[in-house]
Amino acid sequence: MISRLLDLFLAYEVDPNVNLIILKGNGRAFCAGGDVAAVVHDIRKANWKSGAQFFSKEFILNYVMATYTKPQVSILNGIVMGGGNGVTMHGRFRVATETSVFAMPETALGLFPDVGASYFLSRLPGFFGEYVGLTGARLDGAEMLACGLATHFVPATKLSLLEEALHKVDSSDSAIISAIIDCYSQQPYLKDQSAYRRLDVIDRCFSRKTVEDILSALEKEYMDKADDWIKNTIQSLKKASPTSLKISLRSIREGRIQGVGQCLTREFRMVCHVMEGKLSKDFFEGCRAILLDKDRNPKWEPARLELISEGMVEQYFSRMDDEEWDDLKLPSRSNFVLPGHAIAKL
Amino acid sequence: MSSESPTDRASRRTRILSNHLTTSDLQVGGNSLQSNICLSYSPPELHEKIEFEVRKMRELLDVHNLQDRDWLFGLMMQSKLFNPQEKGGKVFVMPDFNHTKEQQREMTMKRIEYLLERGVFDGWLTTRGPETEMRKFAFMETLGIFDQSLAIKIGVHFFLWGGAIQFFGTKRHHDKWLRDTETYRIKGCFAMTELGHGSNVRGIETVATYDPKTDEFVITTPCESAQKYWIGGAANHATHTVVFSQLNINGRNQGVHAFIVQLRDFDGNICPNIRIADCGHKIGLNGVDNGRIWFDNVRIPRENLLNSVADVTPDGQYKSAIQDPDQVIFSCCRFAAFLAPLTSGRVTISLSAIYSAQIGLAIAIRYALSRRAFSFVPNEPEVLLLDYPSHQRRLLPLVAKTYAMTCAGNYLKKMYVKRTPESNKTIHVVSSGFKAVLTWHNMRTLQECREACGGQGLKTENQVGHLKGEYDVQSTFEGDNNVLMQQVSKALLGEFIAAKKKNKPFKGLGLEYMNEPWPVIPSQLTSDILRSSNFQITTLRLRERDLLNRFAAEMSQHQSSGVNKEYAFALGYQLAEDLGRAFSDRIIFETFLNDEGTVSTGPMKDVVGKLRSLYALTCMEEDAAFLRYGYLSTEKAAAVRAEVAKLCSELRPHALGLVSSFGVPGAFLSPIAFNWIDSNAWSSSSA
Repeated sequence: MISRLLDLFLAYEVDPNVNLIILKGNGRAFCAGGDVAAVVHDIRKANWKSGAQFFSKEFILNYVMATYTKPQVSILNGIVMGGGNGVTMHGRFRVATETSVFAMPETALGLFPDVGASYFLSRLPGFFGEYVGLTGARLDGAEMLACGLATHFVPATKLSLLEEALHKVDSSDSAIISAIIDCYSQQPYLKDQSAYRRLDVIDRCFSRKTVEDILSALEKEYMDKADDWIKNTIQSLKKASPTSLKISLRSIREGRIQGVGQCLTREFRMVCHVMEGKLSKDFFEGCRAILLDKDRNPKWEPARLELISEGMVEQYFSRMDDEEWDDLKLPSRSNFVLPGHAIAKL
Repeated sequence: MSSESPTDRASRRTRILSNHLTTSDLQVGGNSLQSNICLSYSPPELHEKIEFEVRKMRELLDVHNLQDRDWLFGLMMQSKLFNPQEKGGKVFVMPDFNHTKEQQREMTMKRIEYLLERGVFDGWLTTRGPETEMRKFAFMETLGIFDQSLAIKIGVHFFLWGGAIQFFGTKRHHDKWLRDTETYRIKGCFAMTELGHGSNVRGIETVATYDPKTDEFVITTPCESAQKYWIGGAANHATHTVVFSQLNINGRNQGVHAFIVQLRDFDGNICPNIRIADCGHKIGLNGVDNGRIWFDNVRIPRENLLNSVADVTPDGQYKSAIQDPDQVIFSCCRFAAFLAPLTSGRVTISLSAIYSAQIGLAIAIRYALSRRAFSFVPNEPEVLLLDYPSHQRRLLPLVAKTYAMTCAGNYLKKMYVKRTPESNKTIHVVSSGFKAVLTWHNMRTLQECREACGGQGLKTENQVGHLKGEYDVQSTFEGDNNVLMQQVSKALLGEFIAAKKKNKPFKGLGLEYMNEPWPVIPSQLTSDILRSSNFQITTLRLRERDLLNRFAAEMSQHQSSGVNKEYAFALGYQLAEDLGRAFSDRIIFETFLNDEGTVSTGPMKDVVGKLRSLYALTCMEEDAAFLRYGYLSTEKAAAVRAEVAKLCSELRPHALGLVSSFGVPGAFLSPIAFNWIDSNAWSSSSA
């Protein structure tokens, strides 16, 4: 499906009959993410490289979307997770609805927020990106709009009208398209318990230098004020793979000062190390516990944060020690005149 | 004037305009929907190739605490306190220099409180060791990239006030003040300079008199020239200060000592018998509240004397290991260990100067990779600024120097954190030379970058012009650069005389090569020879060695004609300053060469090698001493110059990679470094 999407995007870019691209889910969910179980199956059958190939295509698609010359409107009704965010968050317009559920749950799976998440999460307000990326917290449509993951909020009942209107557009002008979506948009109510209303606590804790510091800051907050939300946040962190937490935090922090191409290239190195399974097998263990055996009881190795040194984390960011293996090759975009918002991502 | 007639000009202009219309169609290519009939910003990332790994090059330059730096960059970028502004789709952080000085000072203090809460200063004074010190350096460099005022305000509190407590004080002072300093319960400043005395601290006029009846010192400002001046933190925020003062015991002056005096209570009210005034608006650094202080017989407990080398007993006995009062704080030999910690000021200044030069160059080069002007051939597209050899010649040697000096700065840092009583003298000499050379380099680089950005360089938001005001003070504070250069030469002369007198070989300060016979410069300077590190180091050493010999000869000539030593030094300023530069250039080269040696073979090493050659040859091209004293003949000097131009054109393709490797995040550069068309578009012109 990723290859197909990439082909279509590349073809539509030069097709004068295409003004914009609408991306929507087929069914209840928008996209629950890449087929990780299949990747694991591939790796078991062949080797890590076959798994990594999948990510290579996926990340290239993400890059093309981020630097696309025509507006992409993604309609995020239902679940949008992991790879689903990779094919939407880089596009120009992201329309959330009251049914939207966003999450980057990779740390619970022994992976890390990939598909360019270190780019788009790190650019959320304050340290909300660290919170979302490390805990895998779920966000609803109103929260997505509030934090900027979504550009618009349109009630599900108005989606067909919106689509109809978009079909009639005879322009690639972002301003015109934005104005059309605006006609169907409304301002949703941000629920009282929303994590986004806790931005001050999130900033205080998730701005800390290390995962350990973040946890102890949260625990301190909890001591000051016993609160379910903080308790749940601590629990999600404790359930996640310690290795995943550490590499994810560093990835988001590096992503904050990198362009989208650099983010994807770095994430590709990281994903290759994860697939290779030499530094840690947490990804395979996570898939076993969550997706295959479904006992929801992964045995992480190393099992505790303090057992993972900076040097171990560092290795995930280094080039693969394999003569035949290259870094991610991003397609050249120099033949196109990119729109300003795409240039700003470079 | 141009021979073109007005009609010619008009028709040429029409051609160019119609050319825009026709060629832009071609550029649009498959994207015929985009109606680009005008200039469009073409990001350098898309058309420039980077042939080495930027991450690795950044490691060569930043060396240590990279994740700590990135964390701190992120802390600043994600907070509204750091004034994030969106321009052309990108967010930039930069202080609002349109604020009044009072507002800028309050913002600086708020930023410090924010960083404090996030744990940035944890362990700055309560833990010790090389690791802590390197982390502090990394943080200071990172903070300075945002704003020099912020770094200086923090530096005064931790390094000057905190450092004075640590190194001039003893356990009772450490226990009482260090933790409270680290948490900013108290805010410290450092009152050394007076209106009448700056570099010459021995001459200060503030007096501390011991009163055995009350067990107190009485601090007095006896005259207007004794007012403390430029005291960072004093005008608004500091609660405490270290005061440098002559110590008077029973009518006898014991020389300069350091005392702790409280300036304000915890509500911010100025304490009795203290007067504080503002130093006023400055050409830069308005986020630092520099003030002036008068002490009107301020009484402080005897324990507030920082007594690590000398003390006063309750009955008024002066106890010191040293006899000469002048030697107490300013001894150059035995008590150098005592003074050395304050060298950290010169280390941080050197490093911040180099990071400022990096910011300027990253902006000017990125702009030169996206801005076009004129065509070589009529009707052809205009040419990128950096494709003009003259533009390369203006900026790329400065990039090479900045690389070399970054390595030199790292060498200085390492030497400082590993200091021993034996290495203190070297640290003093090297940090003096580097501080002068690196801060001068920064000012020159910023001016060149400002000009290279044309009118855009004038806009405060574009940094390069504004930074000149922010960094100008560096050439005079913590030691006037010219004075420092003379001190370097004095130290070298000391080595020279000692070696000759005792007939012993040279040892230390990298002068061992002087034990070898005088070198010979090859008669034919081919490109290979010019680019060999052997030729480069030999030539740089030849200059240093010869200047040192000349300087020694001049000094002995003056002295034999009856001129006293100090006056002889003053007369010999020309050679002294040339020699100081020759020494610094040579060590900078050696450190760069050494770092080049750590890079494994490949594209990155090739580029570093070219930078090293460009650095060395530019030094030779710029200093008239090579011609004046004949180290290079006119023909050889011409060969050097030609090679500089060649190296510039060879480094041109790597320009983007070279400035990206500085590791300064885009948010800390400026709008002209990115999409300057969008950031100036009508739709974004709210200001």
